[in-house]
Amino acid sequence: MKRDLLVELGVEELPSSFLREGLRSMREAAEQLLREARLAYHAIETLGTPRRMAMIIRGLADRQPDREERVMGPAAKIAFTPEGELTRAALGFIQKNKRAPEDVIRVETEKGEYIALDIHEPGKTAEELLPRILEETCKRIHFAKSMRWGDNPVAFGRPLHHLVALLGDTLIPFEFAGLKAQRTTFGHRFLAPERFELRGADAYRDQLRERHVIVDTEERRERMKRGLDRVAKEIGGEWIVDDFLIEECLSLVEYPFVIPGSFDPKYLELPSEVVISVMRDHQRYFAMRDPDGNLLPAYLNVVGTANEPALIQKGNDRVLRARLEDARFFVEEDRAIPLADRVPRLDAIVFQNKLGSVGDKVRRIDALAQWLAPDGLDKARVSLAATLAKADLETLIVGEFPELEGAMGRYYALSEGIDPEVADTILDHYHPRGAHDSLPATELASAVALADRLDTLVGCFGIGLMPTGSADPFALRRAALGVIRIALEGQLDVDLRAALDQAYALYGDKLELSVEETRAKLLDFFIGRLRVFLRERAPSEIVEACIGAWEKNSLRDLLARVEALLAFRETPAFEALAVAFKRANNIVKDAPEGAHDARLFQEPAERALREAFLGIEEELKERVEARDYSAALQLLGDELRGPIDAFFNDVFVMVDDEQVRSNRLRLLREIADAVNRIAHLHLL
Amino acid sequence: MNFQSLILTLDRFWAERGCILVQPYDSEVGAGTFNPNTFLRAIGPEPWNVAYVEPSRRPTDGRYGENPNRLQSFHQYQVILKPSPPDIQELYLESLRAIGTDPECHDIRFIEDDWESPTLGAWGLGWQVWLDGLEISQFTYFQQCGGIDCRPVSGELTYGLERIAMYLQDVDDVYELEWAPGIRYGEILKRSEWEWSTYNFERANVELHQRLFDDYEKEVSRLLGLSEKRGKGGKLIFELEPLARLVLPAYDCVIKCSHIFNILDARGSISVTERQRFIGRVRLIARAVAESWYAQREALGFPLLAQAEDAENASAQKANEASE
Repeated sequence: MKRDLLVELGVEELPSSFLREGLRSMREAAEQLLREARLAYHAIETLGTPRRMAMIIRGLADRQPDREERVMGPAAKIAFTPEGELTRAALGFIQKNKRAPEDVIRVETEKGEYIALDIHEPGKTAEELLPRILEETCKRIHFAKSMRWGDNPVAFGRPLHHLVALLGDTLIPFEFAGLKAQRTTFGHRFLAPERFELRGADAYRDQLRERHVIVDTEERRERMKRGLDRVAKEIGGEWIVDDFLIEECLSLVEYPFVIPGSFDPKYLELPSEVVISVMRDHQRYFAMRDPDGNLLPAYLNVVGTANEPALIQKGNDRVLRARLEDARFFVEEDRAIPLADRVPRLDAIVFQNKLGSVGDKVRRIDALAQWLAPDGLDKARVSLAATLAKADLETLIVGEFPELEGAMGRYYALSEGIDPEVADTILDHYHPRGAHDSLPATELASAVALADRLDTLVGCFGIGLMPTGSADPFALRRAALGVIRIALEGQLDVDLRAALDQAYALYGDKLELSVEETRAKLLDFFIGRLRVFLRERAPSEIVEACIGAWEKNSLRDLLARVEALLAFRETPAFEALAVAFKRANNIVKDAPEGAHDARLFQEPAERALREAFLGIEEELKERVEARDYSAALQLLGDELRGPIDAFFNDVFVMVDDEQVRSNRLRLLREIADAVNRIAHLHLL
Repeated sequence: MNFQSLILTLDRFWAERGCILVQPYDSEVGAGTFNPNTFLRAIGPEPWNVAYVEPSRRPTDGRYGENPNRLQSFHQYQVILKPSPPDIQELYLESLRAIGTDPECHDIRFIEDDWESPTLGAWGLGWQVWLDGLEISQFTYFQQCGGIDCRPVSGELTYGLERIAMYLQDVDDVYELEWAPGIRYGEILKRSEWEWSTYNFERANVELHQRLFDDYEKEVSRLLGLSEKRGKGGKLIFELEPLARLVLPAYDCVIKCSHIFNILDARGSISVTERQRFIGRVRLIARAVAESWYAQREALGFPLLAQAEDAENASAQKANEASE
């Protein structure tokens, strides 16, 4: 017989990330423990609200299968003394298997005689096994931060209040954190606080729904969205979809009620980013807009209790009014001081203890951005944009809403009449914020964005703050990816090696690692990021072949090699050349120093190869220097493929005559060296 | 409900639930947590249930009396329940009923908010409590205090009295709150906000405060016999026996240092690089006091623990006698 098992843990309000992580680790623990206990089941569902974590194990077997097994022990000659008594080793084996000496049997095997035990163990019932399994499951539930409460010795995400475990309708009496499993739970904290008896897995969702708890996260999400749609329609607008807010609101209530709210339209004069931030980040309200996309002076609020919506709305409107009034005050105050006058004050904001202030950083960004900027850009504008890029960190509004950095700087700059491209750079240089975020739109913004990131990377690496495992507090991986994307998908290329050295020099004597060590570690780090970035564009052997030949300078140069090699791979010459260069590369390792000597050639095929190579050598060099890797590969395919094939067919390189052998190896090495400047074809 | 009846109501509510009512601390603190009735009593195994109002000073929050919501000195109502009882959330919600906010009619939510005081070496996990979108309380389970693990854990409830009163009285300007019949908040404290804002931001004598910080810091070491030497793993070494240390005067010096640091900060005279060092210095002396307090209570045999056991035994005995 198979039954469903319902487990519920009643907790005080869990943060949303805790609930997700807790449910996931609960499921993983249960899966592993049931497997170890050989207790079969059909599937595990997890459900949860801020106040409860639940799990339904469908089709759980009634008992584990019987165990029929012959367990082999030590060899007979070790198991028995010469007198025929059992040795310590044998007794240990018997004890370990919880059997008696009379159970021992002798078994003949290919390797001789051994002792063994035949184990017949009837499977235990689920009822017998579950208390320990569930206790252990609870112990393995993991949270980012655990806490203690009262004098309870157990640590958990938030204090625990009750445990429920019902197998079918049978109570499984497990214990955890000083609590004993029971049949009862509670409904909504305010709307149905009474304890009541649960009937089992099938009725679980319905019983709770009747008591104003939607325990299924997906069902709660759908209900919340329907509520948002309905109320938005009632007040004639649409709510602005925001995944962060949806998740957040979902995890703050057991039953989502949606009520509207409004604010004085005069606050719409504020930048819309500010209004949305106030509502979203401080109050968890959904902003509203009209069909044309204009912000409306209204919001939607997901609440957990709504017996008196007018009262609740009045309270929320008041809080929002005070916050918007604060924001308006901040913006007005901020405007009294021009951005340029704020720059000196950045000396009072820490960038990193050892790396100095944001003011220091801005001076470095300024110098580096000018160094990075292409000749066509006006250096004075680059300098102005770089200098103002962080000035808004010193404004009241960004102090209150850190997520508005950049956006407010741009807003204030525009209202001061600063050149719009410079103003845009203040916001744009923060892009890309992630792998899929947009890139700086201009060369100017790209120069500042690159300078900002390279400065952070060099500074952190230079004092030993490299990312380890999942720990990357300065988001250095994202910074490196940003550099790569700006160069390869955006507006401005970077000469990586030179830029890193330049950024290092700007730190003066602040850094602890040498320039060589910092550069080497960062180049490795960048190559790791480049591998990840290029993985979507080319097979890894192509990427490796190009990274091998790349001189760690221009990022676009690496991409050009990858693209040329990718295209070349589709041509008929590719396969043959790859094979030939693999062979060549395998043997040239033994090539002695020095150039080849034409007089020592014996076979026509080697003379032909030499002629063909000398015929293209100069042109090949020119094409590589011009970074026209397609043309270079084309040249190889057209001119060298035949001769090198013929060479390997007709010429036996490793002859006994040392002079002849060395001469052949020297020719091959010269060719391989020339080709390796394009890509390491032997890696293909 | 005027401001003082709000306080009276909370006093009565928590007194009826077994809390000792104590008075605000007589030194400048940034929050009710600094009061030794919280900071020291949260350390060690002894039970402790207490409630009090704490006028709390945040020099950088001063707005010269011009902002209707921000003050450099405001009032917290602080409750410590140690160990935190299982029904602590229900007790808190009942207290909201007592002050006239029925949770059934409003939207009350517990929003994740972890608390940390770098200067006190203290942290805890918990929530801010929202009443119709307004943050009215902080609710924290103390995990560490003065660098010492809290066993058992104290539950700390902190009510923001001005905010709650503004909500209850339906006013948008803190200075319009009715404090007592016929007397507004502004009449009592508006001038004070202007004077202290002016002092904290413009007039406080920086040199004097820097000197005071250094002197109070030294005083802590002297009163506790704190050696400059450190043991294994940075362990603090004291040259005085626990009962010979003047823990409470030393703790007052810690409070002074913390407040002086806040004034220097408001005066803008703490540079970026100094900041972390100042915080580290306060944390060190706070830790020395916390460890000394623990050692002292231990030397005294944790008197409140013995008392609680006696009370438990007495009531058990009474129950036995009754059943016989």
